[in-house]
Amino acid sequence: MKAKNFLVGMMWPLLSGAFGLALWEGLVKGFGVPVFLLPAPTDVAETIVAKWSYLLSQLAITVMAAGLGLIMSVALGLVAGAAIAGSRLVDRLLTPWLVVAHAIPKVVIAPLFLVWFGFGLQSEMFFVVAFTFFPVIVNTVTGLKSADPEQLLMVRAMGASRLQVLHKIQFPNALPSICAGIKLAVSLAPVGAVIGEFVASNAGLGHLLIRAVGDTDTSLAFAAVTVFSIFGVLLWRAAEWVERLVLPWHPSQRETLMLRDATT
Amino acid sequence: MVGGAIRLERVEKTYGGAGGVQAIAPLSVEMRAGEAVSIVGPSGCGKSTLMRLIAGLDAPTRGTISIGSTPVDGPVPDIGIVFQRDLLLEWRSVMGNVMLPAEIKRLAGLEVRAGELLKELDVAGFAGAYPWQLSGGMRQRVAIARALLTKPALLFLDEPFSALDALTRDQMNVLLQRLQTTQHVTTLLITHSIAEAIFCADRVLVMSGRPGAILDDIRVPFDRPRRLAVRETPDFTAIGRRIREHFEKAGVLVG
Repeated sequence: MKAKNFLVGMMWPLLSGAFGLALWEGLVKGFGVPVFLLPAPTDVAETIVAKWSYLLSQLAITVMAAGLGLIMSVALGLVAGAAIAGSRLVDRLLTPWLVVAHAIPKVVIAPLFLVWFGFGLQSEMFFVVAFTFFPVIVNTVTGLKSADPEQLLMVRAMGASRLQVLHKIQFPNALPSICAGIKLAVSLAPVGAVIGEFVASNAGLGHLLIRAVGDTDTSLAFAAVTVFSIFGVLLWRAAEWVERLVLPWHPSQRETLMLRDATT
Repeated sequence: MVGGAIRLERVEKTYGGAGGVQAIAPLSVEMRAGEAVSIVGPSGCGKSTLMRLIAGLDAPTRGTISIGSTPVDGPVPDIGIVFQRDLLLEWRSVMGNVMLPAEIKRLAGLEVRAGELLKELDVAGFAGAYPWQLSGGMRQRVAIARALLTKPALLFLDEPFSALDALTRDQMNVLLQRLQTTQHVTTLLITHSIAEAIFCADRVLVMSGRPGAILDDIRVPFDRPRRLAVRETPDFTAIGRRIREHFEKAGVLVG
């Protein structure tokens, strides 16, 4: 029954996708559009199959930059977020800097990263951090500050220390918000990595894309974009899966079984 | 363990310094260990302030509070509080919620007691469930189990049943007075309901509107365990009338 519902649910998006691709293929072939202008889906598929291992090796570099940057960003965001939420002084000192840093268009400072951190992975990584730290910090701060005042009073009455309050109440209470921040960061990290590669790298999908466009190898450019998109979707799915593991109690993750209907 | 009688001597609370709002007028009261006391009064009479003072979460402007021979001058660890909202932690199972005070106070070996309390409160079958899977009455039972886990000297209930429907509330009243007997815990119940105040207590303190002062101190003579039918006896209604007359005189109730 479940499998059948799943198939029915998937049918319309699949049909819509197939129709779009067929239309694209038909128009390109029908009007004889040259492949360097717009390759047909079958051309892109052929390129992906032919250059499979090359594409994967470039993807690995992008994944590495995005992953390392993301880890740094989450660590930075959690620590800075906890400091801001825990101290008014830190809040007042740090928040203006964060707001200004976030307001600077990231693409504009990419060349500066090249100057500061040199060509290659390091620049890319810091670029990913610049792209992703803000949602993590903002959501961490919001989450930690939004604990129920009465729950805080209750554990204080039990004699909880400040660290216990953070550990037992504030942090678990902030987890849904932190997860939301990390999910945003996860969707931004590959974008940051690719833009970093446009500017400051001679490897990775971003660099491959720039080079393919320069060579008017549009099929390869489309192949890179396709691989990149699939990676983005998989990364998002992985983030959702982790969220489900971490927050089984949250309204967004609850299964339908309501015990109370079966009892009292 | 602090334990022992709870003594308030000329306790007074004013918020906002001299000329501020006086929440509690000078008030003296003594509760024996193991006694079940209800405080009934109109909204804003300082009942919850009184709770915060006894729990040591707030300091009185004047006067002294002591539990046993120990003066209260900071959060009292030996007190279990049940609030109007159950305040269960949504990310913890029922058992995890009940065990919270043990974790905070770093007390080991209370799992068995937690299980027994859940059983006594008729929610043993839900130890592994999340709070959202329970009804309002069941959630409040879990909150009571949590408050009783570390065998506190005082169980403080701040309008614990006011959010429940009438039937569930009656059921919880029966349960509470059963617990008072089995757990031998001094109980201070704050409520708006006159019937609940009488049913669950050995003594009812009637409080006036702000600033809170004690208008009457009534002994409740009924034997335990009590059944809900006791509420229909002439003695019970007489006590109810006596309380109501205080509120009518104060203009809180128009009869």
